[in-house]
Amino acid sequence: MTCDLNITDDQRQILDAAASMLGTNYPATRLRDGAIDDIASIAEFGSFMLALPEDFGGTGFTVVEEALLHVLFGRHALSPNALAAAVATRLALSEGDKDMAEGISSGAITVCAAVPDTDGARLLIDAAGATFTLEFGDDFLSLIDLESVEITDVDGLGHGGVRTSRLAANSGDPVHSTEDDTVRQIADLLVSAQLLGVAEATRDLAVEYAKVRTQFGKPIGVFQAVKHHSANMAIQAELLSAQLDMAAVAVRGDMDHAEFQVAALRRLSPRVALFNARAAIQIHGGMGFSAEADVHHYLKLAHVLSRLGTVRSFLDIDAALGPLEPA
Amino acid sequence: MQLKFTDDDNHFRKQAREWLADNVPNQPAPYDGQPAREYALSWLAKCHAGGWSGIGWPSEYGGRGLPPEKIIAWYEEYVRARAPSVLDCTFVSVNHAGPTVIALGTEEQKAFHLPLILEGRSVWCQGFSEPGSGSDLASLKATGVVDGDELVVNGQKIWTSFADIADYQELLIRTDPEQKRHRGLSWVICDMKSPGITVRPIKNLAGVTHFAEVFYDDVRIPLSNVVGGLHDGWRTAMTTLGFERKTAAMGVQLALSIRIEDLIALAEPKTGSAMAERLADLRAEAAALRAMTYRTIFREPSNASDGSLMRLYFAELAQRIAQASMDILGPEALVDTALTHDYLEAYSETIAGGTAEIQRNIIAERILGLPRE
Repeated sequence: MTCDLNITDDQRQILDAAASMLGTNYPATRLRDGAIDDIASIAEFGSFMLALPEDFGGTGFTVVEEALLHVLFGRHALSPNALAAAVATRLALSEGDKDMAEGISSGAITVCAAVPDTDGARLLIDAAGATFTLEFGDDFLSLIDLESVEITDVDGLGHGGVRTSRLAANSGDPVHSTEDDTVRQIADLLVSAQLLGVAEATRDLAVEYAKVRTQFGKPIGVFQAVKHHSANMAIQAELLSAQLDMAAVAVRGDMDHAEFQVAALRRLSPRVALFNARAAIQIHGGMGFSAEADVHHYLKLAHVLSRLGTVRSFLDIDAALGPLEPA
Repeated sequence: MQLKFTDDDNHFRKQAREWLADNVPNQPAPYDGQPAREYALSWLAKCHAGGWSGIGWPSEYGGRGLPPEKIIAWYEEYVRARAPSVLDCTFVSVNHAGPTVIALGTEEQKAFHLPLILEGRSVWCQGFSEPGSGSDLASLKATGVVDGDELVVNGQKIWTSFADIADYQELLIRTDPEQKRHRGLSWVICDMKSPGITVRPIKNLAGVTHFAEVFYDDVRIPLSNVVGGLHDGWRTAMTTLGFERKTAAMGVQLALSIRIEDLIALAEPKTGSAMAERLADLRAEAAALRAMTYRTIFREPSNASDGSLMRLYFAELAQRIAQASMDILGPEALVDTALTHDYLEAYSETIAGGTAEIQRNIIAERILGLPRE
């Protein structure tokens, strides 16, 4: 079959291996400790290299598998440092800086993600220990050296729930900067993949909770109100997952409709993740409002990821209507 | 994960595009009554003459037995050419009754009915719902009593689309009174000209009359019209659910991608305006529906619950798009046009063929594994 958007056996294998690695090294319980994830195990797994050209450590996988891997990262609410590393590797490589790409993808260099603030400053996430930051601008990506710059910790969303720092305007040297479409498409793809992971994880948390929490002598999942919230979450995750696959395949093949598919994906992904996170909190009831349950970590991660890059106007991009590949 | 169309696929697509360009009717389809019947049958006959009827049917039954990538190409070209909606009075015959007869019918049933359907010479309707059995279909009460080599049918069906212009009906009745619920039902082919049948058309909220109540008063149906075994009608009814929700749904789902593009062209929203954002969101959602369509069509084996998920997403998206069209029209929304008509018709999307609420229960219980009540 040359036309199939379902996961292949090879893909299933690497995803199973990744899931097992993540389960061992990044259990959900760690979220309650509040420490920044050490992403060494992620780098060691080859996550940042697997889709690169083979002469650069690539293992024959593509951006499609890389995107699916980042869905798992989102499911584990991994620090955005993993996302920053993946995109920064691509950026460095596209700029011909192999040393930098090597340093980041091997885990030797830690990169954190930066959100442009309104006044030219940037908000850095999980910056402690990072030596570079990747700024996800509206229409650019910049890798900024954090050496000898001053960053100020701020009280992040949720009274420190999001570990946020501020880098002042005109501070920090961009080592590399690009407006290149391909790298930005990959950035959008991976951000959306992680948002899908958030949507799937919150769906699953809510459904599991609805099966075990009893009220009125029954699991609350028996009640239609809860069922319908859950079904809505399933629909949201499914539509985003389908669009992610479509966009990833289009980017991999450098197809004409890639820009359209990625823009559609990037528009959908924050909304879907936030929808599911909200619904999951609601289904958890009082527990959902507490810091002890894991759901709020996903809500906050969804807000962070939503700020990495931007939703574009999109109506000016030609629709992929007839053949996805021209006849 | 692959998305590659071969030269052969592209050649097929080109043929489809050219044929459609030459043959799609200029006049819009009438909404109801004999004109709707004549229009739909003549369009289907034209498709048949061109080799485009029953493209998903097996070739031994007059279809073309095409693989999913060609079927999807056909429907993409079909909606792109703004060809008549596939949800006309031939939808049940081509997408439900025909495939059911192919799967479970006798040789006689196949030989008689399949050519009539494919060639655009018969219209079918579906007699499932009853006044007391909507979402709870298995509670249906219409009865068929075996009398010699015939069934004697009594009862009432409702919401039967195109009953007033149909030749045949796929009729679900209780033939074994000793059994309850899903058991003891039979799926029979009912000739709509049989004595004892009364059709009372019902006007819908869009002001047109394409569905009806059907009354059965000692209607005699030969036992040879049972499809899939006496008392085994529930299985028969479920047999083609996968086909209906996958292959048949394609044309309906892909049409939304075109509808949103037409709406954007009509609205010409200013960049950054609230309407531009809303249309962009809808456009992205239509893209996702298309991605789901692509994914589902190649997924084997067919999974009816999967279909529920996509069906529901489609229904609610169709309604949101229709609502946007009313806001774009402004005061002109008060004039009956194709757009405003479609807006009103869209209210049926979350009711017909299983309400949104029932679909959500199915998703929650069968896909997510939440406990039943």
